[in-house]
Amino acid sequence: MRIIKLALQALGLLLLIPTVAIATLRYEVSDNDGPSIVFPGGELVTGELYRGPEPDWSFTDDVSTIDLQLYNPLASRLIWIEESAGKIYITSDYMGTWLGRLWKHWAVQAYESDGLALVRIDKVLYERKLVRVFEGSVLDGVIAKKISKYRSRITKEAILSGETWVFELTRPDEV
Amino acid sequence: MKAKNYIILCLSLSLLVSLTILYVPDVSENFESWLLRFLSTNAAVK
Repeated sequence: MRIIKLALQALGLLLLIPTVAIATLRYEVSDNDGPSIVFPGGELVTGELYRGPEPDWSFTDDVSTIDLQLYNPLASRLIWIEESAGKIYITSDYMGTWLGRLWKHWAVQAYESDGLALVRIDKVLYERKLVRVFEGSVLDGVIAKKISKYRSRITKEAILSGETWVFELTRPDEV
Repeated sequence: MKAKNYIILCLSLSLLVSLTILYVPDVSENFESWLLRFLSTNAAVK
């Protein structure tokens, strides 16, 4: 009986360390002007808001990650970006498992809410709306870009099965 | 270990972990990198 009690206490301590570490990191960045690698940050504050016609998004080929902030709920994430045929897209992998959905919960929130977002690319802020893309030839360009840019293992089958979600970052007034 | 001592140990350890992450350089980055690898490995459909 004593051995079981000691084993449970040891297990509790082992679980305590990562739990406290995750809670601390999550709390630490929750109000930051931008996210960390894994944990969501707060509202994007710094940067100049872009006003004007749609830019030539091909410059994002040289941008590894962007900051994506949803308005509902107000939180920001670090994310990859793919440009294809003059439009920009983001993807969320790992959506087929509960752990993936927990990790990538922003995608569920964006899909189930109005999708309005603020994106920061190279210190410039762009108002956007996330529109999920389920199918179509446009996916081929997104897949090709993600593979060439990030060496991703993304497939069309993963998108069609719901394992990977694709969002186009449209102008808010476009849809 | 008695419950009272165990709770004190848990609280002390929690405080130590939090302070280490907050104030020791590179610890948070290393932990996040490890967490990212863990998630990438375990959140994929098998």
